[in-house]
Amino acid sequence: MSPLATQLADIVGSRYVLTRPAETFVYTADGLPGYRRQPTLVVMPGTRDEVVGVVRLLAAHKVAFVPRGAGTGLSGGALADGAVLLALHRLRRILAIDPENRLAVVEPGVVNASLSRATASHGLHYAPDPSSQAACTIGGNVAENAGGPHCLKYGVTMNHILAVTAVLPDGSVATLGSADGEAPGYDLAGTFTGSEGCFGVALDVTVRLTRNPEAVRTLLADFTSIDDAARAVSAIVATGIVPAALEMMDQPTIRAVEASIYAAGYPVDAAAVLLIEVDGLAAGVEPDVALVDALCRQHGARTVRIARDDAERARLWQGRKKAFGAMGRIAPHLVVQDAVVPRTKLPHVMATIGAIAARHHVTVCNVFHAGDGNLHPNIAYNADDAAESARVHAAMREIMTLCVEVGGSVTGEHGIGLDKLDYMPLIFPEASLAAMCRLREVFDPERRANPGKVVPIRSCREWAGVPATRVARA
Amino acid sequence: MPDELAVTAPRAERVVARDAADVAGFVRDARDTGAAVRLAGRGTWLEAGGRVAAARHLDLSSLTGITEYVPGDLTLTARAGTTLAEIADATAAHGQWLPLDPFGDARGTLGATLATASAGPLGASVGLPRDVAVGVSFVSGDGEVIQGGGRVVKNVAGFDLVRLTIGAWGTLGAIVEATVRLRARPEADETFCVTVPPERDAIATLLANVRNAALEPLAAELLSPACAAGLGLGHRPVLLVRLAGNATGVHHQRSTLSKLATTAPAPSDTWSRLAQSDPVAGLVARVSRRPSELVRLWTTAISLGDVDAHATLARGIVRLRLPAPPAHDLFGTFDAADHWIIERAPLSWTARPGRMAPASDDLSRRIRLAFDSTGILNPGILDL
Repeated sequence: MSPLATQLADIVGSRYVLTRPAETFVYTADGLPGYRRQPTLVVMPGTRDEVVGVVRLLAAHKVAFVPRGAGTGLSGGALADGAVLLALHRLRRILAIDPENRLAVVEPGVVNASLSRATASHGLHYAPDPSSQAACTIGGNVAENAGGPHCLKYGVTMNHILAVTAVLPDGSVATLGSADGEAPGYDLAGTFTGSEGCFGVALDVTVRLTRNPEAVRTLLADFTSIDDAARAVSAIVATGIVPAALEMMDQPTIRAVEASIYAAGYPVDAAAVLLIEVDGLAAGVEPDVALVDALCRQHGARTVRIARDDAERARLWQGRKKAFGAMGRIAPHLVVQDAVVPRTKLPHVMATIGAIAARHHVTVCNVFHAGDGNLHPNIAYNADDAAESARVHAAMREIMTLCVEVGGSVTGEHGIGLDKLDYMPLIFPEASLAAMCRLREVFDPERRANPGKVVPIRSCREWAGVPATRVARA
Repeated sequence: MPDELAVTAPRAERVVARDAADVAGFVRDARDTGAAVRLAGRGTWLEAGGRVAAARHLDLSSLTGITEYVPGDLTLTARAGTTLAEIADATAAHGQWLPLDPFGDARGTLGATLATASAGPLGASVGLPRDVAVGVSFVSGDGEVIQGGGRVVKNVAGFDLVRLTIGAWGTLGAIVEATVRLRARPEADETFCVTVPPERDAIATLLANVRNAALEPLAAELLSPACAAGLGLGHRPVLLVRLAGNATGVHHQRSTLSKLATTAPAPSDTWSRLAQSDPVAGLVARVSRRPSELVRLWTTAISLGDVDAHATLARGIVRLRLPAPPAHDLFGTFDAADHWIIERAPLSWTARPGRMAPASDDLSRRIRLAFDSTGILNPGILDL
């Protein structure tokens, strides 16, 4: 063991410091396929004090580190290239549930879905629901400002974070935000959310809990054209109804799902299906369901199926939430892309994506949050086939450029990480990127927390000429 | 509002900006000469926050106009000086609305509302500026035009300069343009007046019952007798509840509400009259804590006398509207950990509430310097 590893072991115990390649191998990748980065070592603290101790030790040695939750992130944010990987999955205690104020205080390693299970007896849940919610952690959700299907009505992670206690990269502990009413001053909890591990490590997170809806109705509408489905989406949103979720899946996705163990009974000959959920007070839900049903039919839906019970509802959702897994049947690797376009541009963008896919001889499976224009064009492929990989990446770059050209963003919920650094200058002018660098430097003047992510280094003018060796390697 | 300017900045040099380049040029010049700058929209709220001492006054009220509005996207981009009234008119034509309802009149600007993170009763549901804004352009204290966020409703690209700017009271930059998300008008939108018992325990029970009932109010605001009287609702405590959605749902919620207490329809303009009935002079301040503390805050507030006060239930905020500051120590009457935001206070009034936690104070000061390296924008308005 290196001297650093020995000192880390003194803090967390030797079994929680991994240094041998066979042990660290699993930590060389996260949810972003095709990338492996070797951390110098993996340290897994089990308590808040251990996290603070580890970060202070790393600060004393000027060693770079990468915080990691469950490693389900899709932008490579948890990849550690020659840095220490700080794994937080052992901090999984729910510290407090306050039903009266509808909030909970949790450690960063608490799994998203387990929080909602723990609060269910109070009739409350944690609303943001990424597809990885059975595995992903609240700390990771905060770092990425994670979304999910139900964010259409309930908002993304940022909308549900009241306060964060964080250890900053220099080892100091700061309280950001407040659960106690309207605290004056900058919205530091909002600023920390989505900072992708570059601003520090959350020690505890105070989240807002949402009352469970009294009634939930789930509809599946199938269309013979994507255009019709997209127009139905706009028509529904224009009524003032805010569906809990409004998801679209295209034919390649439907076929992948129906051929898998997650088969949900989607019609395989449909060009697209919409999975629509309406929730709220029981008395108000039925008229909304009737209106959504009518609007889908007016816009060309062949059938509109309304789930009769929880089992049917769960089955309809299973196909959606496990769609990425189902694509594993098509090819060994999968690019899960994430971009946002103005909703009115959906028909044009979907048609153009189809043309791009045809030109590059790749199959794009679209499964996405249509209600807020958050696309997930996915391509299943064999990463070991160099020619195919090149076609996939060329197609993806064209798709991202298209989304930017129509006024969109390069990520709606997965983050920039490593994967999308090159796209940042497409959507932000140089002064904005430089401002982001300055903000990061407030939290981390030595650039040791998740280095090389989110903002391209070349945008940080004041850092030009600073040798990379300034950050010591462990 | 030249009279107010005369009060707050006696010999200030005043410049009206026409566009973002004007703002950037003015700020750079101020920075180079070390002059502090007071940012103002329409000047309706210049007494809000801490006292600002500035030799220069930058008027942003001419940066007006909606620059992009695609109704189908439910987003709107406007220059900072655009009034909420203008946005309301433009969006109403498409059956849409911007759910920002800060107190004060509708001549208030989008930029000031976002800069001060001002929310009204709708803040309890859909009307928090941090949730409504999706993009901002601002001129930093170093004269750079910086863009945060974008024009789409969901976006996690880069560090969040939008949340950072909302509620920064202009100390990081002058907001020159913003993109906000809109909502489609619901089929039904009705307000009801619920009779509130006078005793503390009975109030607590009613508020808990309302919170736990099968209700999804768009707003629920408790009014003191003096506040209710000013709105023509009688000199008695009143709970105003706004219910929205489809007609069946609203009808059902009203029945639910009626089972909890006597409920009567309220005039539809009650909310705008509440927003516009602030005293022309005196003290307006918000005190807050977590919602479970609301009854304590409320009881403390109304123990000050027959005061004009109203409370946003879900947010744990009591807003006091006093024609003159009280003779005794107002802040000392409340808990030291309660949070205060001063919206308006007479010049003579020097009492101050507490400060932020030390760790975030240090971060906040360094963030300020990262965007305004010489600290010229609105110095003193925040306790930094």
